[in-house]
Amino acid sequence: MKIRPVLKAEYPKSPVSAFLRKAYQFLASVKLALALLIIILICCVIGVTIIRGEKAWALIFSTLWFNAILVLLVVNVAFCFFSRIWGRKVTLISLGMILFHLSFVAMLVGIIYNSQFYFRGLIRLTEGETLPSGEPGSYDYADYGRFFDFSKLKGETTLIKMHKGYKTGGADKRVAYEVAVGEGYSKKQGIIYITHKLDHNGFSYFRDKEGYSLLILLYNKQGKEIYGAYIPLQSLKQKGDRYLYTTGTKEGPGSFPFPQDPLNPLFSLQAAYHPAFLKEGAGDAVFQVWQLDRAVGDRIKPMAEGRAPIGKKVKTGDYYLSVKEVRYWVGMNVRYEPGKLIVLVSLWVGLGGMILTFIGRMRRSGV
Amino acid sequence: MKNEMMLFWVVVGLYGLSASSYIFGLISKHEKLFSVGLYSAIAGFIPHVLVIAVRWMATGVSPFITISESITFGIFCAVLIFLSFEFSNKKVRPLGVLVMPVAFVLMGWAGALYKDAASQLVPALQSGWIWAHIIGAATGFGAVLTAAGLGLLYLLKEKYSGGVYERLPDLQTIDNLSYRFVAGGFILYGLMIVTGAFWADQVKGSYWNWDPVEVWSLISWLTYGIYLHLRITFGWRGKRLAVYALVALIAMIISYWGIPFTVETFHSGFRIEH
Repeated sequence: MKIRPVLKAEYPKSPVSAFLRKAYQFLASVKLALALLIIILICCVIGVTIIRGEKAWALIFSTLWFNAILVLLVVNVAFCFFSRIWGRKVTLISLGMILFHLSFVAMLVGIIYNSQFYFRGLIRLTEGETLPSGEPGSYDYADYGRFFDFSKLKGETTLIKMHKGYKTGGADKRVAYEVAVGEGYSKKQGIIYITHKLDHNGFSYFRDKEGYSLLILLYNKQGKEIYGAYIPLQSLKQKGDRYLYTTGTKEGPGSFPFPQDPLNPLFSLQAAYHPAFLKEGAGDAVFQVWQLDRAVGDRIKPMAEGRAPIGKKVKTGDYYLSVKEVRYWVGMNVRYEPGKLIVLVSLWVGLGGMILTFIGRMRRSGV
Repeated sequence: MKNEMMLFWVVVGLYGLSASSYIFGLISKHEKLFSVGLYSAIAGFIPHVLVIAVRWMATGVSPFITISESITFGIFCAVLIFLSFEFSNKKVRPLGVLVMPVAFVLMGWAGALYKDAASQLVPALQSGWIWAHIIGAATGFGAVLTAAGLGLLYLLKEKYSGGVYERLPDLQTIDNLSYRFVAGGFILYGLMIVTGAFWADQVKGSYWNWDPVEVWSLISWLTYGIYLHLRITFGWRGKRLAVYALVALIAMIISYWGIPFTVETFHSGFRIEH
């Protein structure tokens, strides 16, 4: 398609109309389109070479200026392309190009619409645990658009069971979560694995990560049970593809005040689990206890420590600790993206447009 | 594994013979060497098909999971496109002067990285989208490699005359052909990005995460998008676009096989931390 000059309408010579004309000429410039494409290309190259990973996300891809460039490109594409094609005879080539450029505009509409109404959260549950879906506190992480309404998240989310070695249709999915979401008659139960989500009421539930959860019991000097809680463990990769299952963060092992609410903490506890290879849920638990005022990263010796098989008590200072049972915890991504469908459909429309243009050009020149 | 490996190196050897025949044919202006190059490329392509088939049949796992398999499959598509084009358009016989050395070097690299095939597909890869995604990427690469080859022929024909160069199509035809392969590659790469977005959405619930592989594929796509813009909107033709097609091929190779496998990304193995 050859460049057609931008239509020059007769504008009254007021400062406002002069500004509008300049703005229109700026937005409808093909040179601007090319410059923006090159700027985006350079940003992308920098984002995968000089600055990489999370730094690239923080300094480039998530920034307002970069996203403003993307938006400006789409606006420019719309002005630039449609001002030139307007009124021309529709051929296979022009139809393809209209669809291709229109898909960018539709994608932007979908992204903007989505940004106002979306919800993205990570909910972590131990087997058998139920959390209220509409409570922000139920999520380890929750991010949502300005107009998202938490009342859309109706009822509860329950992890019924985590299935290890799950197979379906002859394919090994390794891990699957059996979950129930919603309330009353609209409650939905289903299985989630890496390529299979659960949809309910516009929300999608995706598998994210999983680990062990220990039911740690605390006993007084007389051996009387005074507290118990499920404590999720991190899976930390060690040398030789081995894993350390321990309390802490994804950065490393750590202790936490124990017991937790509603009791007052007595000490800082780090618990680790060494699973038995042959029996599910068996193995040993290792406890290390420090004073409560232990600072993060302090490499001081624990005031007490002990190791015991699952189900057995071990004395740690003035108290006894035991792991009564081992369950699994899972983390699920909960997503509500009402604009996503527009974006995904636009991708196909854009691809279809490219194909139509290509066929049209092949037919025209016959080369 | 041993027989498979032997077969693999036979492919590399024959592609090497083909590459050197094309290069020396061009240097010495001895056109019979182009025929040697073409027939050794065909002779290498047959065991190439066998290497992929044997590996696929032995495990039942899609034959493009490891980096070595990915390169092998990408070169398979590139050589298939090249051979099809050679037989449909006999005037572009010296095209192999770029295509076959690239095929030879990349296959040699794949051979150095060759590993036992995975016994089963990791769960994240058990998706129907993988086929369209990989075929889009591999054929897209084949198309832009051919376009770059035509770009090289354009530059050579423009600079030299007589003999080999005389029998090449005229400059405008070469330019048009190169443009068509770029446009085809642009669409196929678009297919790869679209199906990749659907695949990521199926696994993670988000269609775009700005991970390095996604960004590199966007870089390649934008690179060819700019090519098309320069040609269609700004009227660029000939030498400038021929040089552009050659330079863009480097970005394509880096994006496809270079960077993605050197950094921890969504594509570099779906680790199940458990």
